[in-house]
Amino acid sequence: MESHRTITDASAVILVGGKSSRMGRPKALLPFDGEPLIVHVVRALKKMFAETVVVAAPDQELPSLPAVLVRDEVAYQGPVSGIYHGLKAATREVCFVTSCDAPFLNLQLISQLLAQISDCDVVVPYWQQRFQPLHAVYRTSVLPLLKDQLERGELRPIFLYDKVRTRKIPEQEIRRLDSEGLSLLNMNSPAEYDAALQLWNKRNSISVSVELFGVARLLAKTQSVSLDLAQEATLAQVFSALADKLPVLVGRVINSDGLVSGYTCNLNGLDFVRTPNTKLSSGDKIFILSADAGG
Amino acid sequence: MYGFHGRLLHVDLSTGKSSWIDLEETRLRAFLGGIGLGACLLYEYAPAGVDPFSPANPLIFASAPLVGTGLTTTAKFAVVTKSPLTGFIADSLSSSYFALELKRIGLDALIITGRSAAMTYLFIHNDRVEFHTAEHLCGKSPADTENMIRAELHAPTMRVAAIGKAGENKVRFATISNEGRHAGRGGVGAVMGAKNLKAIALSGDCPTKVADASSIEKIAGALRERSLSSLTDKYREIGTVANLSVFNRLGTLPTRNFQQSTFDDADAVSGESLTENNFGRRHGCAACTIRCERLFKALDGRDQRMEYETLFALGPLCGIRDPDSVLQAAQLCDLYGLDTISTGGTLAWAMECGEKALLPEAQKFGLRFGQPEAIFAAIAAIAERRGIGALLAEGSRRAAMELGGNSSDWAMHVKGLELPGYEPRSLKTMALGLAVSPRGACHNRSGAYEADFSGEVDRFSIDSRRGSLVAESENFAATLDSLIVCKFLRKCFNDYYEEAAEVLSKVTGWDCTGAELKRAGERIHNLKKLFNIREGWSSDDDWLPERLLSEALPTGVGAGVRLSTDELRQMIRSYYQARGWDDQGYIPESMLVELKLPSYRELKV
Repeated sequence: MESHRTITDASAVILVGGKSSRMGRPKALLPFDGEPLIVHVVRALKKMFAETVVVAAPDQELPSLPAVLVRDEVAYQGPVSGIYHGLKAATREVCFVTSCDAPFLNLQLISQLLAQISDCDVVVPYWQQRFQPLHAVYRTSVLPLLKDQLERGELRPIFLYDKVRTRKIPEQEIRRLDSEGLSLLNMNSPAEYDAALQLWNKRNSISVSVELFGVARLLAKTQSVSLDLAQEATLAQVFSALADKLPVLVGRVINSDGLVSGYTCNLNGLDFVRTPNTKLSSGDKIFILSADAGG
Repeated sequence: MYGFHGRLLHVDLSTGKSSWIDLEETRLRAFLGGIGLGACLLYEYAPAGVDPFSPANPLIFASAPLVGTGLTTTAKFAVVTKSPLTGFIADSLSSSYFALELKRIGLDALIITGRSAAMTYLFIHNDRVEFHTAEHLCGKSPADTENMIRAELHAPTMRVAAIGKAGENKVRFATISNEGRHAGRGGVGAVMGAKNLKAIALSGDCPTKVADASSIEKIAGALRERSLSSLTDKYREIGTVANLSVFNRLGTLPTRNFQQSTFDDADAVSGESLTENNFGRRHGCAACTIRCERLFKALDGRDQRMEYETLFALGPLCGIRDPDSVLQAAQLCDLYGLDTISTGGTLAWAMECGEKALLPEAQKFGLRFGQPEAIFAAIAAIAERRGIGALLAEGSRRAAMELGGNSSDWAMHVKGLELPGYEPRSLKTMALGLAVSPRGACHNRSGAYEADFSGEVDRFSIDSRRGSLVAESENFAATLDSLIVCKFLRKCFNDYYEEAAEVLSKVTGWDCTGAELKRAGERIHNLKKLFNIREGWSSDDDWLPERLLSEALPTGVGAGVRLSTDELRQMIRSYYQARGWDDQGYIPESMLVELKLPSYRELKV
């Protein structure tokens, strides 16, 4: 997920009140990237929205969130009700609406959708022959129509689209910013959740290489190894991953504190670093060498 | 007196006379031993302005208080004289059994002056000094000389230091060799050759008495244990050759006469490759637990000692990419008694001159980067001062002055001493250390590179701390080199000055503090500088070769980095300030008084 520095004068509305029946446990609370999924989604959207509104079912348990929390009057009424209550609570005229089970939000794509609302009421992606109402932008001007729909029991959002100025965003346009359409991926079963987690870890890991010199090279019988680590990984995690990969170095070159005394490490040939909390970036090269350059 | 014998032996080769002279305790306490005592005696015994090759130039072998105490890494001795390469102080260390035997003679220093009428060797057995003809040893290698003397004197336990052909022919970077080791830098072997002295054989029976033997035994045990910890892994497991691959990756491996700071074939000649493919055996000096020496199998099947400096100088610096050739070139340097750094440095200069069509003899000789055969032939020519060897035997500075053109721009020396294998542009504290060192471009009399390799400073830029970092490193080295303790033990101390002062106190019975020891380091360094001032030093001598100041690093992680004259000037200024010297680098008279050093008024240039 790209960082997004400008805050848009619009609201983000996140629907969390679904039944989670196939998942078997509340989706909003699924651990994701070290935090409950809802926290993860709120955190992502707060990077670009002036306001975040979370629409939950009555009595639904949620962690404390930096968002406006509103509740459906009736539980499990479906997305139209959620969108309606979200737009109603929003203080901005333009709202981006999503559900909490879409962890791969792409802020660039969302910006693109928001930019196209100018002379419309709804901007909605059309992906693989289907509208994506829970990754769409709505004007609060559609509230009366949504209220009518609810009263009539028309619980599918697409009924709205014929009645207002709707811009349908074709697939190829979405692919320009999100080639695989990951933004639109949501998780309904434990298998989908596992797959999403794996994908997240893969997309958010960094790859570093460790180059070994001297004693370390002779022990490991290799000059370098590459390691995949979590984003924002530190030197401590390098040492720990290295210990798993090359146990022969444990006790001789690396130990639980990091490097055994007499050894040092250098980052990219530039900085000598020993602090275990030094943060690393993808592509970093970590040299492990003797701390003594005497000759 | 404990730790010392309290006397020196002065041998005059011209008259054949020798005399024992008392050394007062105050002087020993002020200058310790080794480099410090040697510098002190050089100042006294060398007439001001003496020609290094004249009989009057003293060749001093200095022992030290810790030698013979059983403390690990202390079997060392210093050779001090006026250098024929630099015209300033030459202070070299060597080690092992010759060091122990020197002290067992019952002396703290051996001073040799004069010149024998014909090639001679000395045999000193306790108080007896014998002069033996060495004409039958002329042209012999140091190793053969050692064996032949031992055989003819029927003294298998005696220890011998000798010169090879290079020393006999006064090659300005000839070494004095003992047991395969060398007092290597500055041409001490040429001074010995100028005295027609082929070798010194020693056999003694005087043990070193220590004041507090049981404390020393305890300290020795603790130091031994620390010397075997991970802190010395590099030296124990691979040896100094481990530096090569690291330096290459860090863009600080001088290559092709400093035209590059990385070597494309570094892997082939790395310490790791040598260890995997050529390992012969591991060896150590007498009384050493670290045992850093590595001997590798040369093509002829013999084991050849190899250190990083030799590996760099005869390998990447000359563009040589195969380890067998580097080993063979090192064998030849040992055979003739040549300093490998200066040999490699001078050859690399000649190769570049050949490349630039300035030195037709180099081209005729086939001296080109990466051509080992010509190097083997050139090493022999240097030792024998034959053909192009006569020019190269003078070292890169004199050779460039003789050749002219702008060949001095790539003569990679400071004060005439060729640069070691630490690229100054990517190690800027080291750049300063090399520029200001009294013995010329030297990596041993200070460890200025340590700041660069530790992350304490940004090695690619400069700041105002470099002056004091270099000065402190020099003082530290001066005490290590005077006590003497090997530098490879230096990281095994928690609080070096305090611990070393305690060791010295237990050996000598003095009540020496860390502060006193530190002060001694400062005194010793200042004395070396004072000697240089007496011999004509000026601030122009504290400078680096033009190449380093005009060309950016072309390769490696530091590609594009420069060292400007302004940066160097600023660092030198900060160094003179840190030293308490004036802005031209001269020691103020008041400081000489404070350090109890000779006054300028006594200078008789």
